[in-house]
Amino acid sequence: MILELKNIEKSFGDKKVLTGVSFKAEGGKAFGLLGRNGAGKTTSIRILMDVFPADSGEVLIDGQPIDYNKIGIGYLPEERGLYPKKIIIDQLTYFAELKGMSNKDAVKSIDYWLDRLGMTEYRNKRLDTLSKGNQQKIQLITALAHDPDIVILDEPFSGLDPVNAMLLKDVVKEQIAKGKIVLFSSHQMSYIEEFCDSIAILNNGIVALYGDLHDIKRDYPRDRLVVRTDNPDAIKADFGAACAAIENGALIIRLSDASEKKAVMTRLVQNYDIDEVKVYEPSLNDIFVEVAGDAAKEV
Amino acid sequence: MKQFGKILKFELKSYVKNKAFVGITIFLVLLIAAVMFFPRIAVLFKSDNTTDTPDELSVMLIKAENSAQADMVKEIFANAFTDYDVQITNDSVDEIKSKITSGEAECAFVMTGATEYTYYVETLTIYDSNSAIADEVLQQIYQMNAMINGGMTAEQAGEVMNIQIKGTVESLGKDQMQNFFYTYIMIFALYMVILLYGQMVAMNVATEKSSRAMEVLITSAKPLSMMFGKVIASCIAGLVQLSAIFGSALVFYNLNESYWGDNMIVDSIFNIPPELLVFMLVFFLLGFLIYAFLFGAIASTVSKLEDINTAVQPVTYLFVFGFLVVMISMGSGSVDNILMKVCSFIPFTSPMAMFTRIAMSTVAWYEIVISIAILIGSTIGIGILSAKIYRVGVLMYGTAPKIKNIIKAVWKA
Repeated sequence: MILELKNIEKSFGDKKVLTGVSFKAEGGKAFGLLGRNGAGKTTSIRILMDVFPADSGEVLIDGQPIDYNKIGIGYLPEERGLYPKKIIIDQLTYFAELKGMSNKDAVKSIDYWLDRLGMTEYRNKRLDTLSKGNQQKIQLITALAHDPDIVILDEPFSGLDPVNAMLLKDVVKEQIAKGKIVLFSSHQMSYIEEFCDSIAILNNGIVALYGDLHDIKRDYPRDRLVVRTDNPDAIKADFGAACAAIENGALIIRLSDASEKKAVMTRLVQNYDIDEVKVYEPSLNDIFVEVAGDAAKEV
Repeated sequence: MKQFGKILKFELKSYVKNKAFVGITIFLVLLIAAVMFFPRIAVLFKSDNTTDTPDELSVMLIKAENSAQADMVKEIFANAFTDYDVQITNDSVDEIKSKITSGEAECAFVMTGATEYTYYVETLTIYDSNSAIADEVLQQIYQMNAMINGGMTAEQAGEVMNIQIKGTVESLGKDQMQNFFYTYIMIFALYMVILLYGQMVAMNVATEKSSRAMEVLITSAKPLSMMFGKVIASCIAGLVQLSAIFGSALVFYNLNESYWGDNMIVDSIFNIPPELLVFMLVFFLLGFLIYAFLFGAIASTVSKLEDINTAVQPVTYLFVFGFLVVMISMGSGSVDNILMKVCSFIPFTSPMAMFTRIAMSTVAWYEIVISIAILIGSTIGIGILSAKIYRVGVLMYGTAPKIKNIIKAVWKA
């Protein structure tokens, strides 16, 4: 199954929020939707979920306009919130029923998820008696209980302790393995890198970067070298401003052009005692800051 | 439609589980029971009191000018003031005053002529009608004396004074006297229930928004189902509560009917014509729905719970205006004035105005039909519009949006 957003345009009043947003997400893979605050991620998600219509453009499933009666969507919103004063099983059943489940199936599925997330003891408690992390797990159940075809997770890891984060990672991997389309939106780049095969970076309502994460990284200008050495000071003095230390003690040397790579590498190995020298693979974080940060400055 | 059913069920369940809602209903039913059983209980106590203490009447002192006057006045006053032990006294005015201050007597009339007196009392309450009664009694004595002096016999004079007028009143339209009380009660019930439940719907919507449960809800259900589910659930809850209160009143009244005697007001309240009850139900439902939709839509534009009251004020004012027009018109006795006629066709005021006119006056059938048709049409229209406002409103956070922006957004949606 392939989900496709095609040329989505949306304005609120005079403000243009999305301009020609297009991307594809495939079943059995995770897709990362990135962007700074206010870039248009939530608006894209809401259009995808038919909360409001786009001014123009299409949402397609396998090339056909999406039929919301057939395609189930599960959503974990960034703004968490359920009914604080209501019993957990009651409200979870309600949400699952709204998504079209029968009462019996809903209760069965919710009990499975409560058990899976280690929350069974809270089944008949009020939501506001739970800790924030546990409330978040309950919220996750609203996104998964009705076994949706598309799972949209907005900042799923925020507020979770490492053990719960691990649990959630397993759940996400399980969903991907089931062939579902998992759409991630997060500012925690490490998680995106871990899960997502493809990404789209939104910036001011425009898709600034889109594609397979490995391709993006490979296509990235290979104009930086990582150098590990025992006497960094000499190298620093040699390369001046082009050289900077990074956290783990290694040095980064920025080349004026990627074609200089071989020459600089040779020079380093000949002149200094080098433990390791390699081309720097940009992290998603670097790419994000460069794409979203620079473009933001231009506006 | 399926979603609507689920939402309705969920919302109704919330009312049933709401301790305040259940508590208030039970309290009101108990209160009604207490009121309805009151005459029966009162009789129990009264019968004890009258047999044991027949002579605990307050003392009223009369000081007459002379003994002839004293005899006549004593008898007549004793008849006129059955609540008092009327005693003739020859004490001086100062002595009388001290008796009153000491509590030995409650009040005193000191006559200074056939048509003049001074009334002494410790505390003059606003309910004290003694001097008014005395005025009347003395006036009668004076008139009788004048007639006897003019040559009539005492019997003839007595007949003239006691002539009874026989009159029969036949109302060809409505009897406003009788209708007044139950119309008043119904209008008041309508007013209370609409405001109370309107606020509840508003709170409900705003709570979902501020707790961000809305984020999940709006992606799970259609705004139209959400709006209608909530409003109709509150409408059912309101009806159940009203039925419980009025139903228990009716049951308890029937249990105690004999003890209430011929109290005209109470009697009229429990003898409402059935067709009026049907009108009551129709106007109640439509009035309730139209306002609940408005309250819900407005609440959806509010980000913080504490802003609700300010936001719903315009609607509340509109409603209170309608209520005042009806109440003032009812008080003045002319429920068919121009303002009432206009109000009985405007959807926001017609539930109260048209109902009052039907109950207390004679309204042509086509006027009723037109009024109800306008009301039904507007209720559906407002319902759909409010669902649109709701969809736009619930996703607007931050400062309260301007009406202009909402209209723009709704227009586009």
